[in-house]
Formats: sequence, C-alpha cells, structure tokens
Amino acid sequence: MAVPWSHCWRRSLTNCTKTRLCGYTPSPRRLPGGLVVPSPAGRSGRIHSDTKLKDPFSLAQKDLTHLYEDIKKELFVSGPELRSLCDYYFDGKGKAFRPMVVVLMARAINVHSNNKGDLLPGQRSVAMISEMIHTASLVHDDVIDGSDQRRGKSTINDLWGERKAILAGDFILSAASMALARIGNTTVVSVLSQVVEDLVRGEFMQMGSKENENERFKLYLDKTFKKTASLIANSCRAVSILVNSDPDVHEIAFQYGKNVGIAFQLVDDVLDFTACAAHLGKPSAADLKLGLATGPVLFACQQFPELHSMIMRRFTSQGDVEQAWEYVIQSDGVQQTSYLARRYCDEAVRQVSRLRPSPERDALIRLTEMVLTRDK
Amino acid sequence: MLPVCSRLARVGTARTLSLFSSTAPSNWSKVVSEAERIVGYPTSFMSLRCLLSDELSNVAMHVRRLVGTDHPLLDTARGLVYDSRSHLQMRGLVVLLLSKAAGPSSQPAPDLQAQDMVSGIYPSQRNLAEIAELIHTAFLVHRGVVNLKDWTTARGQLKDMQFGNKMAVLSGDFLLANACTGLAQLNNTKVVELISSAIGDLVQGVYYENSSNLQDHNPGDILDMDAWEEQTFLSHGALLAKSCQAAMELAKHQPESQRLAYKYGKHLSLGHQLHTDLQPFVGSGGGERSAFSLNSGPVVFHRHIVGRDKWQQQLEEAKKFPDHLDYSKLWAAIKSERGVSSAVDLCRYHGNKALEAIQAFPPSEARSALENIAGAVTKL
Repeated sequence: MAVPWSHCWRRSLTNCTKTRLCGYTPSPRRLPGGLVVPSPAGRSGRIHSDTKLKDPFSLAQKDLTHLYEDIKKELFVSGPELRSLCDYYFDGKGKAFRPMVVVLMARAINVHSNNKGDLLPGQRSVAMISEMIHTASLVHDDVIDGSDQRRGKSTINDLWGERKAILAGDFILSAASMALARIGNTTVVSVLSQVVEDLVRGEFMQMGSKENENERFKLYLDKTFKKTASLIANSCRAVSILVNSDPDVHEIAFQYGKNVGIAFQLVDDVLDFTACAAHLGKPSAADLKLGLATGPVLFACQQFPELHSMIMRRFTSQGDVEQAWEYVIQSDGVQQTSYLARRYCDEAVRQVSRLRPSPERDALIRLTEMVLTRDK
Repeated sequence: MLPVCSRLARVGTARTLSLFSSTAPSNWSKVVSEAERIVGYPTSFMSLRCLLSDELSNVAMHVRRLVGTDHPLLDTARGLVYDSRSHLQMRGLVVLLLSKAAGPSSQPAPDLQAQDMVSGIYPSQRNLAEIAELIHTAFLVHRGVVNLKDWTTARGQLKDMQFGNKMAVLSGDFLLANACTGLAQLNNTKVVELISSAIGDLVQGVYYENSSNLQDHNPGDILDMDAWEEQTFLSHGALLAKSCQAAMELAKHQPESQRLAYKYGKHLSLGHQLHTDLQPFVGSGGGERSAFSLNSGPVVFHRHIVGRDKWQQQLEEAKKFPDHLDYSKLWAAIKSERGVSSAVDLCRYHGNKALEAIQAFPPSEARSALENIAGAVTKL
C-alpha cells in the first residue's frame, strides 16, 4: 500500500524553504567544463495529447496497490529477525517513485507498441525489482554514511547494528536477482545487473575529489547518473524490451529515465540546502557533512573560489561546513542547479513525446514538473 | 572493548579462512595441485579483472590505514593474499572438475561448441567458477563488518572501525556486483536464479553465525545435529552445491546429472566442515588448547549426548573468569564422551555420499580428482 506518497509531492508552503525552486529561470550561464546540457527544445515545443492530464500517482496506483505485499512475498526468509530487517523499509511509507515511473513507462510503451495498455507480468516485476534494488542500496548507503535516520525513522544499522544491516541489504539484492531471473529474459537480466554495478561504481566515485573544476563537474554528473539515474533509466529500458523489439523505442525509454533520474537527484541535492531537517526526514546539509560537493557547491565555487580548497579537503576543517553553506546560500548555486534540473526534465519530455499519445505518456510528462517542484 | 567478542570474531574469521586448508598439508596440497593441472588452470581463479580494477586498488591503498587496528577486514585481506594459493579457491576448482567430468554437452547449441572448450571445460563454466569465488569472497568481506556500538568507548578506534566498515561494505558490494554482471553474461536465467538463491542462503547462514558463537546460551544456539547441518549447509554448502548444479545446467546436461552434481557439492561441503571442526579434537592430547567454536560439529554432538544441564555444568566448570573459558578443560570433557567419534562417523558418511554421487559420471582423470578430494575429507 503506497498511500501517502502523493502527499510528499504536493507543494505545501513551508517556512523552511529558503529558496523557491520553481518558476525561477536564471539567464543560462555557461556550465563548468563547457558541459553539454540537453537542448531545451521541449520547453517551447511541448506536445500534449488531447486527453485530460491525469495525476501520475492516481494513474499508476492501480498497478501498485499490492507492491509492498508482493515484495515481502519475494523476501522468503526462515529467521524471524532477518525477516523483520528485510521488511523494515517496505512499510508502504516510501514514495515508490521508481515503481511509479516504471509502470507508467510500461503502459505508455505498450500503447505505443500495440495499442493495448495492459501491463505484462514481467513489467510489473521490473517495477517491484526497481524498488528492491533501490532499498538494498539505501540500506548499504546508510552504513557507509553512518546515517541513523531515514524516512523519519531510525535506520537498520542504528537499530540492529552494521553487520546485520549489510547482510539484510545483501539478502534483498539476492531476492531481487531471483525475481529478475524468473522474468526469464536474458537481456532484461543484463540491463538490470548493470544497474547494480553502476550503483557500486557511483559510490566509489564519491570517494575521491578532483582538483580540476571541469573534471569535477563531469564526475559529479557521471556519479549522479550511476547512483540515481541508472536504476530508473535501465528499469524503463527493461519494460520496453519486454514488449517491443525496436531499439529506438528502448532508447526513448532509457533517455527519459536517465534525464528524469538526473533531474531528480539534482533537486535532491538542492533540497539538502533548502529544506529543513524535519521536512526532509534526514538532517540538512547532510552532503556537506559527508564531505560531498554537490551541484549547488560546485556552482557556488565559480563565484567563491574560496570553496575550492574546502572541496578538496572534503569540508573536514573546523567550520568548513558552516562556511560552505553560507557561500552556497549567498551564491546562485541553488538556482543554477535547479535550472540544470529543469533542462534535464525538458530533455526527458522531448524524448517521451516521441511516443504515441496516451494518458500514461502524458502523466510521465507531468511527472517531470513534479520532480522539479517537490519539496521533500 | 569487548575482549571476548573480538577474540571470538577472530576465531570465526580464522575458521572461515582455513576452509579447505586445514587438512594435513602435504596430502591436501597434492590433491589440489593435481586437480589444478587437470583443469588447466595453475593459478588463482579470482577474476583478475576485478582485482586489477581501479576500485579494488583504491581499497587496497586505503586498507593500509587499518594496519594496527582490530578491524577484521585486515585479516580477511591478508588471508586473500597469503592463503589464495590453492586453498581458498576450492569452490571454483570443484566446479571445473565436475564440468570436465561430466564432459561435452549432448545437446547442440550455438554457445556450446566443442572447439570452444579448453581442457574439456566450456568458457561459461569457467566464468561460473570465477563467479562462485567472487561471491564467496564478497561474504568473507561482508561478514567482517563490525557493529560500531561495540566500539563507542574508544574514540580513535571508533573512527578506524567506521573506516574499515566503509571499505568492507564497498569492496564486498563491488565483488557482488561483478558476480551479478558475470551471472547475467552467462545468458541462462535458470543459472541466475539458482546462484542468486545461493547468495540468499549464504546470508541466512552467516546472519546467525556470530550470535551463536558467544559462550552463553542464547537463542542462536544450535541444539542438535539436524539444525547444525541445516545451518552449515546454508553458510558453507549451498554456494558449492548450487554452483555444481549450475555448471551442469550450463552444458545442458540432464536433470539427473544436475542432481548428482548438487549432491556431490552438498556432501563434500558438509564433510569438509566436519573435517575442519574436528581438527582441534584429533591427534594427541596435552598442552594448552586453543579456542574452538562451541557450535562446531563435535561440540554440538557432545552437547546433544550429555544433555543441556550437564553441558551447562561443564561450561561453568571451565569458566576461569566470567568472560574467559578454559578450553583445555572443556576439551577434555568433550573428548571423554562420544561426541567426537560421532562427528567422525558423520564426516565419513558425508565423504562417502559425495563419492557415491560422482560414480554415475564416466571414469576420467577429473572424476578421480573429485574422488581424491572427497577421500581427503574423510581422512582424519
């Protein structure tokens, strides 16, 4: 049951939002490293079908009603303690963002391919597996980052210790991998196994800092793809492979997922500076405290070169975190990052607009707007 | 500091690393090097691609920071380097020997061309052997993650432990991720499902491992041999058994061959674990006894024979201090009963079952090597 998710997205006005993220369009500035950002073609030439725009959440709801029950069925364990660890985050309180994108994409591609929108069992499995892989990686991330809070409750490592948390993550991954194999499609297995590798490589990339500013930005976006977007992109590709044999269609699905995924993470990185701790379900400035320089910091570094040495020492000196925070707030790093997120969403829209019109396709278009305006 | 826990954790690690290596060295080394010759693979099966990757080089560099700390990752890494020659990679070796013993596929398939075989083994089977080793190593690393709350008293140590954990999680995940992509490349979803389920088995086996290593009675205690076999199969047998079965599936051998290969792997693992567990109890008495696991095969047999109350009493008598056991005393108590001989019998039983399972394969050098391995397990 994924009832409360839609609440997260409704833009409630909260005092703690320091900067409005939407509606702000700074003059496009050259990005560090002469970065190629997707063209904003979709902005002006957006094509919508005539069907009344539907809320992506209610549209996906019918396919996701039993999502968490089904995931729990996959987690077949004998020991009661391990069982409760594995079930811990599948409590229906997550946003289930990934499964939602996956089922909408699946139905949009099904309409595009054969005029019938019915979800195939394998496609539903991919939606479920995407949430399982995501959760397994969260459990490990919390140990790596030493987090004690997630989604407003204590983390598994905080309650049961690091050793058991790691094993629970491994177990969820093995269950996801079994479910994946049972779909019976070797290409789909390959596509989603790539995600697991990307997740780890992304985590490794986060360990180092680059001296060169251009390289640093490239590394940041590359890391963002691997740690966040790859799962969404490849899950979208997988549901497309299951119904359609045209590689161009798979590519549309992949590109939509990739661009939305990167935008999603960019907004996440912005929220780390703009949302208050209670609202986000985790402490703010968490990334700085972990030594990570995300989009807002990298942009701010262009205006405040003092940030450079702090980035290199990963904000470890006394007062670094507070100082860096101030620089970011004074700079237009937050706005620039939001603007970049918008450009990625525009590209996602451009891609998915190539599919034949359907309520689900339009929901995917609307979803990009919600990614930009979410506040938690 | 938790002296008992950390010491026991180290006992646990040592036990794990000595897997397949504790037999009388000369005899065992001979069996292994002969087997390596047969599969045409003189050196490590561990993926070089993995070991030489930027990611693991990075970890290796960082692990140096752990020198002088108590983080188990250090021991694990040391074990991988010094123990890798011939001993640690038995799973891969057995998978290759079985692949060769079963011979070429009887079914024509584009990815099963006879000319692609090297030393009578398909490339996919070699990849599978490597994947089994990757998974095994990943768990050696992950089971060494420590609970930070046990270290909160010493500030400096806590930082080391945090760092060690981070490295352990990342490198274990890296090995598992490589196993995942490697599995996907085998292009056989049955094999992906089978090996993925073995990962799940391993987790379940390892999960309750340490809690039951503590001396005091606790819910994790293994009460009888059935429970011991079940637990040992999960933590030490499932990966080998299922890898053996998967090797047959990759060559499209009949379900009956798959069943027998699974059986060989299962009984060999159980026999081998008993063999390892028996090491402290065979040979001459006298001298200071080093620590042994209270959930090892012979001890569980003993506990079952003498009953809960008497065992509790023996434990009390062996307690010098609240958290220190006199293992020599406990050893003598165990030796005086039939627990050890029962464990020896069970070890032979499993060795023989393994032998029995491969009799259906045609006689060959590879089959003889598998027989020798099963035979070495029963020699005590």
